[in-house]
Amino acid sequence: MSKKGKKDLRRAISRRGLLLAGGQLALTGLLAGRLYQLQVAQSSRYKGLSDRNQFDMRVVSPRRGRLYDRNMRLLAGNAESFQLRVTPLFVDDLERTLAALLKIVDLTPDQIKNVLETAKKVPSFQDIVVRDDLSQRELARLAVRSALLSGVSFGRSLRRIYPQGILGCHVTGYVSPVTRNEIEADQTLRALPDLGTGKIGIEFTHEQRLRGVPGRERIEVNAKGQPIRVFQDVAASAGQDLRLSLDMGIQLHAADALRQGRLTPVKLGSSEVQKAIAENAELRAHIAVGDEMVLRDEKKRLVPPESGAAVVIDVETGGVVSLVSAPMFDPNLFTGRLLTRDWQRLNNHPRTPLLNRAISGLYAPGSTFKMVVGLAALEAGVISQKTRFSCPGHMELGNAKFHCWRKDGHGAVNLVSALEQSCDVFFYEIALKTGIKKIKDMARRLGLGDSTGLDLPGEKSGIVPSHEWKLAHHGKVWTPGETVVAGIGQGYVLATPLQLAVMTARIANGRKAVTPRLLTNDMTSPDDFAPLDIAPAALDVVRQGMIKVMYGGLGTARSHKLADTLGGMAGKTGTVQVKRITKAQREEGIISNIDRPWAERDHALFVAYAPIKKPRYAIAVVVEHGGSGSAAAAPVARDIMAKTIQTLGVA
Amino acid sequence: MTIWRALLRMPWHLLLLAALLVSVGALALYSASQGSWQPWAGRHIVRAAVGLAMVLVVAFVDINLIRRMSYAFLVLAVLVLAALMVVGSGSGVARWISIGGMNVQPSEPAKIAVILALARYFDGQPLDRFQSIITYLPALAMIALPFLLVLKQPDLGTALMLALGGLSIIFAAGLPWRYVIGSIAVVVASVPVLWSQLHAYQKARVMTFLNPEADILGAGYQITQSKIALGSGGFFGKGFLMGSQSQLNYLPEKQTDFVFTMIGEEFGFAGNLFILMVYLAICLFILRISYRVKSRFSRLSCIGIAMMLFFYMFVNVGMVTGLLPVVGAPLPLISYGGTAMLTVFLGLGIVASAIIHDRREQ
Repeated sequence: MSKKGKKDLRRAISRRGLLLAGGQLALTGLLAGRLYQLQVAQSSRYKGLSDRNQFDMRVVSPRRGRLYDRNMRLLAGNAESFQLRVTPLFVDDLERTLAALLKIVDLTPDQIKNVLETAKKVPSFQDIVVRDDLSQRELARLAVRSALLSGVSFGRSLRRIYPQGILGCHVTGYVSPVTRNEIEADQTLRALPDLGTGKIGIEFTHEQRLRGVPGRERIEVNAKGQPIRVFQDVAASAGQDLRLSLDMGIQLHAADALRQGRLTPVKLGSSEVQKAIAENAELRAHIAVGDEMVLRDEKKRLVPPESGAAVVIDVETGGVVSLVSAPMFDPNLFTGRLLTRDWQRLNNHPRTPLLNRAISGLYAPGSTFKMVVGLAALEAGVISQKTRFSCPGHMELGNAKFHCWRKDGHGAVNLVSALEQSCDVFFYEIALKTGIKKIKDMARRLGLGDSTGLDLPGEKSGIVPSHEWKLAHHGKVWTPGETVVAGIGQGYVLATPLQLAVMTARIANGRKAVTPRLLTNDMTSPDDFAPLDIAPAALDVVRQGMIKVMYGGLGTARSHKLADTLGGMAGKTGTVQVKRITKAQREEGIISNIDRPWAERDHALFVAYAPIKKPRYAIAVVVEHGGSGSAAAAPVARDIMAKTIQTLGVA
Repeated sequence: MTIWRALLRMPWHLLLLAALLVSVGALALYSASQGSWQPWAGRHIVRAAVGLAMVLVVAFVDINLIRRMSYAFLVLAVLVLAALMVVGSGSGVARWISIGGMNVQPSEPAKIAVILALARYFDGQPLDRFQSIITYLPALAMIALPFLLVLKQPDLGTALMLALGGLSIIFAAGLPWRYVIGSIAVVVASVPVLWSQLHAYQKARVMTFLNPEADILGAGYQITQSKIALGSGGFFGKGFLMGSQSQLNYLPEKQTDFVFTMIGEEFGFAGNLFILMVYLAICLFILRISYRVKSRFSRLSCIGIAMMLFFYMFVNVGMVTGLLPVVGAPLPLISYGGTAMLTVFLGLGIVASAIIHDRREQ
């Protein structure tokens, strides 16, 4: 039985083996049939394809969308640049050819390695880009010698250019070559060698709209690999052109006014200036990144341009008319090959030019915050328009003594005159009575403490403190003294210049929560803004105070009025201490601002709207370490506002 | 057994046919590097010589020793594959280990380990159990474990070939027909489930296979170029070193997965058919040996090795002719690449051992 069973099993296995052999025969027959079909039956078709129709595909980069200002002046465009290519098919010894090219153009070992690796992977007739963005000098040298190097050719490609130089740098941002990380996140970027991707600014925010969709070309080559014809398979579709609400005329004026401040420009050519540049690293740093300006201060010292920010927005539409952050840099540095040298200069710059101070710079708003406190107090009913407090020059709360900026005090002041003279004690008093919760509530409605949503990356939210905020961030209970300090926009309160401009625009507008916008392509209709929800009567009182700042006999900015022909301007100064004044210093007498080191001087702030009767533009100016708001920031804001109204009118 | 007797019983015809394929491979690789022994053809020959020597060594190992060791081989293979998973998990692809400067793909010899372990398993089963489905379940587990590990590497092609090799032994061992047909039905039904488990690149390959024109720059490019190269070769080919598609680098991977295409362009239908016939001859000779050897272990091992070799050839040729999706499978003995060649020579060594040390079933 067992023996028979074993025999049966052996037979069964053999039978199955036979079946498998049959299967092998059948499948091999299938393969042979397929080969016959390809190599005999359809051979002539494939021979044709092989002889005439050998083709290769090439991805065609789309033209990147351009950026324009409101008058269609070009902010970012595409220019042709030359690239150096080799065709391995026509090169005898690629390594030797590259070694020869190394003597003519700049090539890194990485670039050479990259070419050699690519050559192993792609069809040998295909051009490989050795270097992008050849300089005129390299082109001239190559033109003479490339005849001796077979297989070396030139090609044209596109390069992003920013014709306005440093002027639009923080708004447009810049484009630079695609990074490895970006390719890992988005494989389609591998096929987009031209131009690269936006890294900051509008170029970053609207990357998808600007980029466009790549196309495809079919290149026919003969059996020897020489290209015969190029067909467009799928046309590349260009990226969308975007139009910004910026006005480059005003932008230029704002950039110059902000950077010059009270300083006197000097000519760069003189030997004195050249010597100063050679000796002063800070001057050199500015010039190296394209911010070419040297000035003289009151003490006849040669100094770099002022740092800070200026933002002008339309009170009705929210359109950003001008947005300047200083120091500035030239975005064209990034578009070709960013030299390590330039990158180091930007990163080691003592004043961080890459930082867009208008949206990412956080400053204590100082006295410009007093409108918020005044509105909160009026709304809470703790004061009326007529309520007066007496200012003896300080206020005492428990053991602490809070000083007014004016030692001798302002006497009896109401809200309007307190704004006019920027009396600190008045706002200490009403802040205490109103409480931080209601102040915070008003600040949030005016656009502080949250990002405005402008389409630029890196916008900061700022800080409007509250009980909860302090508990969450410092783990401590809020004290009344902190409410007092917040009453004059110091302590924990922080805002960006853009937020201050938005705050001013909302006070001036009075009806809508104006929100800033940069693109005119998708500008929201003014009717879409949320209602502001602040009593018109209260706003009117605060606006009167802002008018008094300019026109009152004691107004802090009375010497910087906007011409009546332009409709006049209402504003508010702010001066923010950077370094605490000690008791000893106070008794000795405060050292004048100009005698302190730059980094220890006060920040100067000014916010304003104009014209007075029918407000159309709001402005915020911050001059870092510029001194007092009335002396350093108000004239800058006045100049920019004048230019804005002269250029755009108020219709 | 004397050495003399062993040499007499050595399956020389198999070794001769294998050497023939190695020579064809060397010629093709010489052409792939535009007429040079560097970098592939020379090393190919050296590796093949080492491989042939290995066949002779393995042939002298008693098949019974191999039988006793077969479970150990499978455990070892699974452990190495699992270890690879842990070590290589950082980079996402865990196929290779480096042994003395040589990159080895453990999933290839794992195919042999699966075949031997299954043969051993069925060798040890009492006769009355072959009709029961329970008998076949442990066998399935022996395939499933290495299969899943290789699939996770991820290497769909090798995993499928490993599974097919094992399944053909289960079939040969006499799995009742009702289960054969039933499992085919289950496989067909589970295709959608499997599909959802595939990696994006694997799905892309299958989609490309179904519609190569849609993806002309990726895998579809390879297939389109491969078909042009094969078809333009015609009946007798363009001549040695004259294949324009290959020589101009249109053809990707021409030294490895697409070497058959390159031979087709230069030697035509005749050359390709010749290679198919040599492979088929080797497979059928091994099946004939399986018919003659007495031990059940030897018989099943030989069938498994014959099927493994056949699947190598079928998947590769099917792939380059556009019948199967591009899964990345070499044509062993001809393609440049050590591990597949080593695996085939290992298989031939076991076949030789089976025939040399064959005796009555105990």
